[in-house]
Amino acid sequence: MSFKNLFIKHDLSPEVRAWLDKEIAEQEERFAKLEKTMEDLAPTREQWYQEFFDRITTIGFNVDGDDKMKISPADLPVKPAGRVDRVVWKHGVDSE
Amino acid sequence: MARPHIEPFCDRDEGFKSLQLPGFASGMRYKMLSLDVDSGACSMTVQLDAGYQRSPGFAWSELEMIVIEGELQVGERTCRKGHYFFVPAGYALPAMSSAQGCLVLMMYNTGEPSHVESTQHHPQAQVDLYHSVDSYMDLPWAMGNVTKPSVAAGCLIKLLNYNPISHAMTFLYCMTPGYYQDNISYHDCAEESYHLWGTSWMMQFGEVPTGGYFWRPAYINHGSFASEYGCIALGRTDSKLFNHFHYNPWSTPVENADRSAARLYKRDPLLYKWAFSKDHNHPHGPEDFEDTMLRRGEESGHDNEHKSDGRRHDHWHGHLHHEPGSPHTHADGTTHSHD
Repeated sequence: MSFKNLFIKHDLSPEVRAWLDKEIAEQEERFAKLEKTMEDLAPTREQWYQEFFDRITTIGFNVDGDDKMKISPADLPVKPAGRVDRVVWKHGVDSE
Repeated sequence: MARPHIEPFCDRDEGFKSLQLPGFASGMRYKMLSLDVDSGACSMTVQLDAGYQRSPGFAWSELEMIVIEGELQVGERTCRKGHYFFVPAGYALPAMSSAQGCLVLMMYNTGEPSHVESTQHHPQAQVDLYHSVDSYMDLPWAMGNVTKPSVAAGCLIKLLNYNPISHAMTFLYCMTPGYYQDNISYHDCAEESYHLWGTSWMMQFGEVPTGGYFWRPAYINHGSFASEYGCIALGRTDSKLFNHFHYNPWSTPVENADRSAARLYKRDPLLYKWAFSKDHNHPHGPEDFEDTMLRRGEESGHDNEHKSDGRRHDHWHGHLHHEPGSPHTHADGTTHSHD
């Protein structure tokens, strides 16, 4: 991740390397916990999806800013067969 | 693999740990928010205890900071909540201290946290990029429509940092009470946010309260959005922010990325054809001749090898070239001339 491509090369001391390894391990634990929490939220989320569909077919879908367009119920998506509702993707496009 | 998707996370659920890395003074405690497993770049909530003092010095990594609570003394300047700093790698900050203690969000962008005691900038520091501002008091809110299609009215921003090459941004944003936006969004960039105050809601992740945080890789669905009582947060993107809105909650990151490419094909078909159909899809991307062409600077023997990202590149940030024999002063204070 680079916001200005600004980095000065230097050597990592064993102490810093050990700190990084420990933090990476703890981050793995945090991620697993978050992923599990989001999996457990799936039934609630299913209800939120339905409420979202209700709103965009009656009040409207935000196309740009506050410009809204009502979506025809016929245009609503169908959940692909066998697809698990998933919202956490560890490495984005490289997760699949 | 860079940073993993961390969302939703709330630092209030975690305890502080003492930061015991070389160079950092005692009395600095942290909560890790996200960490790049390759570079060590990370974002942390940092508690500086009352009486904390740190010597002048620089980091090997670019650093961004914003004061969340309390007062931070940086040299002669007293910085209160909302004070933002962009600190280039190698830029020597003056001594820092906090008499009563403070809470700071620290983001090391390009490497692990480090502090090298020094009153001088590193010779490779791009010192002109340093800036700081009291973002709460000295900047006005602007409409959030920095990109089209735009977020709904009621989402306002204050731009804090902008990379003219990648279009990466750091910004404060707020949602007014009663805010809502009924669409699902994804971006071609990674996005990060820390809730300084207040709660917002996203359809995938539920509520993000004060201290709430996410690091979200590109192409991941988020939204619809709401905030009942309003919120204020610090946000960042690592490249150009474009809102791809849709209403399919089951699309995957790969499907979203394919859609982005399809939209590029529809919008810029000639560019798409050039980039993807002529073997130009090299792993490092198509060549930008401005990055690689031979420049006159090399002919004169002048060192144009800025090593900021470990690669050779040219003077995108610009500086004056000098006539042979004319003395000039560099940013690190050294004065010399070329024969």
